[in-house]
Amino acid sequence: MTFLTKARTLMAATAMALTAATGAFADKVEVLDTAPEDAVVVNIDQLKYETPEITIKAGDAVTWTNQEVMPHNVHFTAGVAAEAELRGTMLKKGESWSARFNEPGTYDYHCTPHPFMRGKVIVE
Amino acid sequence: MAYPPKPTPKYLLLLTTCLIGSGLALGPSWAQTAEEPAEESQPAEAEAGEAAQTPAEEMTEGQRAAAEAAEKLAAGEDDEPVILDAPAPDARRVYIQDPAHFAAVTQQYVVDGSTGRVLGMTDGGFLPHPVAAEDGSFFAQASTVFERIARGKRTDYVEVFDPVTFQPTADIELPEASRFLVGTYQWMNALTTDNKYLLFYQFSPAPAVGLVNLEAGEFERMVDVPDCYHIFPASPTVFYMNCRDGSLARVDFADGEAEVTNTEVFHAENELLINHPAFSLRSGRLVWPTYTGKIFQMDLTEDQASFREPFEALTEEERADDWRPGGWQQTAYHRQSNRIFLLVDQRDEWRHKTASRFVVVMNAETGERLAKLEMGHEIDSINVSQDAEPLLYGLSAGDKTLYIYDAESGEELRSVDQLGHGPQIITTHDMDS
Ligand SMILES: [Cu+2]
Repeated sequence: MTFLTKARTLMAATAMALTAATGAFADKVEVLDTAPEDAVVVNIDQLKYETPEITIKAGDAVTWTNQEVMPHNVHFTAGVAAEAELRGTMLKKGESWSARFNEPGTYDYHCTPHPFMRGKVIVE
Repeated sequence: MAYPPKPTPKYLLLLTTCLIGSGLALGPSWAQTAEEPAEESQPAEAEAGEAAQTPAEEMTEGQRAAAEAAEKLAAGEDDEPVILDAPAPDARRVYIQDPAHFAAVTQQYVVDGSTGRVLGMTDGGFLPHPVAAEDGSFFAQASTVFERIARGKRTDYVEVFDPVTFQPTADIELPEASRFLVGTYQWMNALTTDNKYLLFYQFSPAPAVGLVNLEAGEFERMVDVPDCYHIFPASPTVFYMNCRDGSLARVDFADGEAEVTNTEVFHAENELLINHPAFSLRSGRLVWPTYTGKIFQMDLTEDQASFREPFEALTEEERADDWRPGGWQQTAYHRQSNRIFLLVDQRDEWRHKTASRFVVVMNAETGERLAKLEMGHEIDSINVSQDAEPLLYGLSAGDKTLYIYDAESGEELRSVDQLGHGPQIITTHDMDS
C-alpha cells in the first residue's frame, strides 16, 4: 500500500499544481490519500460501477472500491474534474480510490482500459 | 536474348549503378524471388551462377535486369539514372503493410501481383493503417510519429499518396493521440464509398470515429459512437460498426450531426467474431467468421443492414477433428464471383492467431464448399485480387514472404520475399469492373 499512497499523494500534488497555475478549476476535485469514513461508496464489480449515477452535496467525498480480480480505475477526461485529465490509479481487488467534489456540477467518468464502463457523479 | 559471354568489370559497374538508382527511387526491386517454381527454393547464389544458361521464360527478375543492362552496354547506350514511376495501378497491384512487431517505424511494400515485382515502398510510423481507393486513384495511411523516435510529442496524421509517383499529395494532422494504437485490423479505418472521407477509430477515452475530409485536406471532427468497433462504409455519409452488445450500429454523419441506430442482435455472446472480417466497399457485403468458422454475412446499404442465413465453413467432421480458422487477416471475399476464402488448419481452440496451411473456398450464396487449397506454407493473412481470374495472396509473417497463387486451382505461381520484419496486412484495389 505504500506505493499506492505515494502515488495518490503525488497525483494530488500534481492536480493542485495545475489548478494553482491556471486558477480556473481551483480545488474542484481533490484526490484524497485515505478514504473518509463518511464517503459515499461506489463498488466496482462484473465490469460495472454498481451505482453508475450518484448524487452528492458539494464538499462530499466518494470512494470507489474494486470488488473483483480484474483491475479497474476512475478516469475523468480533460476539462471535467480539472483542466487536465484526472486518471485514477488502477485498483486491484479490495483497493480503493477517493476524491472530494467541492463544486456543483455533473462529473462523467469511465474506466481507462474499459471505455464501456461509465459512471456519473452529480454534485448539488 | 543476348548475353555477354564473359562479364567485364565495366558491365558489373553499370549493373551496380542501375541497382542503386532503382533502389533509391523505389526500394529494393531486387529483393524478390519472382517466377520461381513453387517446389524449388534454391539459394539465390546458386541461381546467379547459372544465369547464362537460364531460358528467358525461367529467368528471375535479377537475371532479366542483368541481361537487359548487358544488352544496353553492348549497344553502346549510356546509363541515365532517374527516379522511376510505378506502372498505373491495376486490379492485381497489392499492398503489404508490415507492422514490424510493434516497431516505432514501419514500411509498406507495393507489389505487382502478376509478376511478383516490388514496385515501390512507403514509410510509416507506429502501427499505421493503410487504405487504398478501390478505383486506384490513390492510396493513403493514418500514421503516428513521435518527436524522439518512440517518445516525446506525439503526432497523428493522414498521408495520401499519388499511386504512380508515390509522392505524398496530402498530409493532414489529426487531434492529438486520437488514433487507436492496436495491431492492424483491415477495417478499423476505411474510406467512404466516394473516397471523400477517411474514417478512423478512437478507442480511448471514449469510442469515436474521426472524419478526415480528404477533398478539403483537413480533419473535420470526431463523431461520438456507442461501444462499437470497426468501420464499414455503405455510402458517402453512412457507415456501420460492430457493437459489444452483439448488434451493428448504423451511423449517419450527414449535415454535421451523427445519427446512430442499432440493428437486431445477430450473434450470441459465446459466438466470438474474429478481428478480421472481409468486406467489399463496392458491393456492401460484409463476411464475418467466428472462432469456429461460422460465417455471418450482411449486406450493408445506406438504408439498412440485411442479415443472411449464417453457415458453417467447416464440416461437422472437420470441426470434430480440431479444424478451426486461424491467423491474422483470415478472411477474403471475391466480389465478382461471390466467393469466400477462409484460412483454416487443425489447432487448439486458443491458438486462433497462429498461422494456417489451408484455405477453404465457399460459395457465399449457398455456403457450398468449392475447394480446400493446401498453401504449402505457414500463412497468416490472405486476400484476393478482384479481377475476373483472381490471384490468391498468402502472406507469411514468419517467412516475411508473400506467396501468390491461382485462386481457382490453388497452384503457387510465384513469391516475393524479404518483406520487412513481420508483414501482416494485404490491401488491393477493386477496379477491374
Ligand atoms: Cu475497468
